[in-house]
Amino acid sequence: MNCYEHTLIARQDLQEDQVKKLIEKYENIIKTNSGKILKIEDWGLKNFSNIIKKNKKGFYFHLKFEGIGKTIEELEKAENIDQLLIRYLTVRVKSHDLKKEYFETKDSKEK
Amino acid sequence: MKKVKNFRKSKKNNKHSKLSLFQKGDLKFSRSCPLSGKNAPVIDYKDIKLLKKYISESGRILPSRVTSVSLKKQKELSRSIKRARLLALL
Repeated sequence: MNCYEHTLIARQDLQEDQVKKLIEKYENIIKTNSGKILKIEDWGLKNFSNIIKKNKKGFYFHLKFEGIGKTIEELEKAENIDQLLIRYLTVRVKSHDLKKEYFETKDSKEK
Repeated sequence: MKKVKNFRKSKKNNKHSKLSLFQKGDLKFSRSCPLSGKNAPVIDYKDIKLLKKYISESGRILPSRVTSVSLKKQKELSRSIKRARLLALL
């Protein structure tokens, strides 16, 4: 099993329940393809530093999970045809750092 | 000897100013690499505060001859800067 970090950027004009559904969809894809989710971070709506496809803002989500090559393959296959997403990034890491958060998440704000 | 004195003076004056692409040789931060060693920060594409130190005002990656980052860390740094650019964080 390899450790992966995955970041999604969804379009700004989505409703809240649409965003929830989107994340659940990708969770299911990871789970059904022999992956295991360790942590989901919600970075919220953030401004882009440069305009991407006429978008100025986007919802950021950060997933940390374990999986195999096929997990990534299926995940990116689904993301490529998804029109609600703007961009994604997968990075393979040696080990997960679950404590450190570089961005304010919704949970940490409430505390 | 004189050169060393000048170096120290200029370092004091420029403590808070940002490094630029066209930095003169004697205005360097430090001779040793700021990213390797015991208490050095970990380079990560999510750590924007750290990465912003190593890009110029116009967003270009600063050369290691200016910032005196070691070759190994410079590779790591430029990779994570490019990742952050892809996510439109920088």
